[in-house]
Amino acid sequence: MVLILTKYGHLLLNAMGQTVLLALCGLFFACILGIFFGILGVMNNKICRAIDKVFVDVIRGVPLIVLAYFVYFGVPYFMKNIVGNPITLSALQAGTICLALNCGAYMAEIIRAGIQSVDKGQMEAARSLGLPWWRAMYRVVMPQAIRTMIPSIINQFIITLKDTSILSIIGFPELVNTAKNVVANTFMSFQTWGIVAVMYLIVIEILTLASRALERRLNRGKE
Amino acid sequence: MAKSNNVKIHVSHLKKNFKKLEVLKDISTDVYEGEVVVVIGPSGSGKSTFLRCINNLEEITGGEITVDGMSLTDKKTDINKLRENIGMVFQHFNLFPHMDVMRNLTLAPVDLKKASKEEAAERAHQMLQKVGMEDKANAYPSQLSGGQKQRVAIARALCMEPDIMLFDEPTSALDPEMVGEVLQVMKQLAADGMTMVIVTHEMGFAREVADRVLFMDGGYIVEEGTPQEVLLNPKEPRTIDFLNKVL
Repeated sequence: MVLILTKYGHLLLNAMGQTVLLALCGLFFACILGIFFGILGVMNNKICRAIDKVFVDVIRGVPLIVLAYFVYFGVPYFMKNIVGNPITLSALQAGTICLALNCGAYMAEIIRAGIQSVDKGQMEAARSLGLPWWRAMYRVVMPQAIRTMIPSIINQFIITLKDTSILSIIGFPELVNTAKNVVANTFMSFQTWGIVAVMYLIVIEILTLASRALERRLNRGKE
Repeated sequence: MAKSNNVKIHVSHLKKNFKKLEVLKDISTDVYEGEVVVVIGPSGSGKSTFLRCINNLEEITGGEITVDGMSLTDKKTDINKLRENIGMVFQHFNLFPHMDVMRNLTLAPVDLKKASKEEAAERAHQMLQKVGMEDKANAYPSQLSGGQKQRVAIARALCMEPDIMLFDEPTSALDPEMVGEVLQVMKQLAADGMTMVIVTHEMGFAREVADRVLFMDGGYIVEEGTPQEVLLNPKEPRTIDFLNKVL
């Protein structure tokens, strides 16, 4: 145990940093995708809603590990051999794309459901005053929807943070991948994986505490 | 009342379907400037849908509605501009719960650049005074009673300085002892010469305030006329039947 901490501690800490970096990159783009598709999902236009539905269904229907292989190996193969325009994706780029798509689909659902949970009368009242759809959404519906979305969004963040471990299979040097190397060198599975589990636990506990504080803050205005 | 010969709302052969369900089959009527029209009828008769068609909250399926000479179905008509002129009051108030009363009243005028913040605030205070709610300017909707909420909702609509006010069963969600205060505000508004279309079950109010009463059933206007004619001497069997049940 002590040996692993002293000899490989800095390696594992670095890897945790990589994990957090990957999660942040993925979450950033996932938020953009989620907001975009979530809003498409509540628009009056049927085509917009259909686009959201297809995106969510396709991404949700494919396991992250398959998506990762597809993006990291499949897409460059396709570009090189079939399009004839070779590209290479770094593991970070491919990992970010995978997490953004995967988490983005779930975020889109959270955002769509959050908006739909706001009473329809709110949108109607705002429209009846002459506010255009976008203004009504931004001023009246969204501020109310966000309150109900926050717990689910934080939950999704936590899931995505843990899902970074799946991307060890495309060689991204995050925590699980690094831990595997440590185990290969030391044969100390119990100690190494125990330490890794605790590291995840600490980071996620911090996120959870932050989310609870945020929830309390948001609910403070509510009587 | 201050009824003129100016047609404010012209409705001709209005039809509205929800998918296969025909809610409004053939509605034609004119509402004149300053007129107070009360729409009565059994539930499911299409009263609320008719009202919601006037400000395009429901898109009409057939026929035509013009408000101030502008057709709702004309692509060139700016529906948002038109709505600024048509205030609407809902059964369930639909105040914005995350904003205090003042912000509820000033949001639209300021956001749509109809008034500066100061002008909007001044007008909001005037309107709150009008509905007797000036002491609640900084309260949140959740701190108000139903009657108070509805009076604030009326004030909110008035802040846009509309020419027309639509009321969709404004007292139906209220406790009985709060109905009076809301009707009082509406009476005052009628006396000021506002053009109003009101869907309600308050027959006493209809008799007292309406210039004209429409009785709707099954997607048609079955009978219309002065309150005297429709409420006291109805001719159509369906009107007689309905009035017997509610009076």
